[in-house]
Amino acid sequence: MYKIRIHGRGGQGAKKAAKMIGLAAFKMGKQVQDFALYGAERRGAPVMSFVRIGDTPILERGYVDDPDVVLVLDRTLLDLVNVADGLAENGLLLVNSEHDPIFDTPATVKHVDATSIALDTIGKPIFNTTMLGALAKFTNIISIDALNWAIEEELSHYPKKMIEANKTAVQKCYEVAE
Amino acid sequence: MKQTLVTGNEAAAWGARLVRPNYIPTFPITPQTECIETLARWSADGELPGTYFDRMESEHSVMSAAVGAAAVGARVFTASSSQGLLLMHEVLYIAAGMRLPIVMATISRGLSAPVTLWSDHNDFLDQRDSGWLMFHAENNQEVLDMMLQAYRIAEDPRVLLPAMVNMDGYVLSFTDEPITIPSPEMVEEFLPEYNPDHTIAKGRPVTVGPPVLDEYTIFRAQNHVAARNALEVMEEVMDDFDRIFDRRYHLVDEFMLDDAELVLVTQGSMSTTAKAAIMEMREEEGIKVGLLRLRVIRPWPAKAIAEALKGAKAVAVIDRNLAPGRGGIMFPEIVETLYHLDRRPLVSSFVVGLGGNPQTEHKVKEITRKLIDDLETGRPRVEWNDL
Repeated sequence: MYKIRIHGRGGQGAKKAAKMIGLAAFKMGKQVQDFALYGAERRGAPVMSFVRIGDTPILERGYVDDPDVVLVLDRTLLDLVNVADGLAENGLLLVNSEHDPIFDTPATVKHVDATSIALDTIGKPIFNTTMLGALAKFTNIISIDALNWAIEEELSHYPKKMIEANKTAVQKCYEVAE
Repeated sequence: MKQTLVTGNEAAAWGARLVRPNYIPTFPITPQTECIETLARWSADGELPGTYFDRMESEHSVMSAAVGAAAVGARVFTASSSQGLLLMHEVLYIAAGMRLPIVMATISRGLSAPVTLWSDHNDFLDQRDSGWLMFHAENNQEVLDMMLQAYRIAEDPRVLLPAMVNMDGYVLSFTDEPITIPSPEMVEEFLPEYNPDHTIAKGRPVTVGPPVLDEYTIFRAQNHVAARNALEVMEEVMDDFDRIFDRRYHLVDEFMLDDAELVLVTQGSMSTTAKAAIMEMREEEGIKVGLLRLRVIRPWPAKAIAEALKGAKAVAVIDRNLAPGRGGIMFPEIVETLYHLDRRPLVSSFVVGLGGNPQTEHKVKEITRKLIDDLETGRPRVEWNDL
């Protein structure tokens, strides 16, 4: 089983990001489970969402406390939340940041400036979908094709222009991530 | 069959949509809100023809309106959680006493004070003696399937009682899982139009729920008999469900019980985690442990439970609820059910996961080890796991 934990702030789309990853993996024929911690969470407060992906039905439930990948949508959280808690040693910590976040963990640390990419392509700081391009680059759990399908599915009630802009942002993020 | 990724709330909404209700009175409360939001959207988009979607000012009004609509022969759906379900409490007895087959999705959330938004089963189990049929789902597929079954059972002329389908808040209500959504044609074959005999109708005046004197006991007894009848009706309905949808359900869910010396008795979503832990313990440590999941709470399927547990040496009843001053609510029910067996297992009580405290594989394994100790000492225990 492959486990992902997403850290963001209320309003940044951590829940949507988890749903998109879930949908993309589901499209690729995987068994998936995604959910978000919310209720009393409010705009700007630290929030979390989770995805589990497997080849057989997922039996584990609840928080993911031993993720293979941690996605951080907002680098200011690095000082507030122990984002690498439980992260696998051979795991990946992927941070939305314009510079290397310098984070002490045995896991691989990568960063991508998803905010700038989103501003350039979508015209708004919608970095939750954008960052998934980098996730597709660094892992083989979701493909760009499956992500595009998930974007169309999940944003179906948005204007076509918005859907295309999101896809472009994901593609751009995939290309620049290194 | 094609699967779709939906949350538990959406699964309940799909169940409601597929049974073609006439009336859906609603009032929002976390974690149920997404269920009625989904239905509201469908209603606004014209996808619920023949359904009147109603927004009301409180849960008490919701259940009162549900009673009124059901009394004139409407098929009714609603949903609630926690304090909202408690506000309905008074009217729940009226729905049962008037023999109105309303179906309600309940999305379990712990009760105040202090406030929690997360799941435990006190809100649901608080309705235990209301006369409603009470079902508890383990996963999102079962939420939808139980909704369809609940209408068939509730509307059966031998039963005519309202029914609750419970799911755990967050762990199911807000979690996407792949499920199979059946076609409307299949559901129509399984659940025909609701055409009750005894309704209030124009030109046919009847009195429902009037004051009575010594007849009161007869009505209460009829309520009890109807609920007991439901057990037999359920067996038929589950056979028919299997025939049409190819998914098999039983009064209780038995998991690896054939040779089990230790049995965990669970309810709801934690059963999935417990099953995973059981498979690991069997494979890695050779522990003969199994699980019995309670999926029908009212009427109480005593025979099925006793039959499933008769080979056990020790049983752990895991309650995600608490009756202060008494303990876990299902524990005494299980003990009573086993009392008349020739060879009674030792029964220990564990209160776990109140207010959404995570119910992990680790905790399940810990409980199993404690049960092994209990078997050695010959003394059952009563314990809280999250303190």
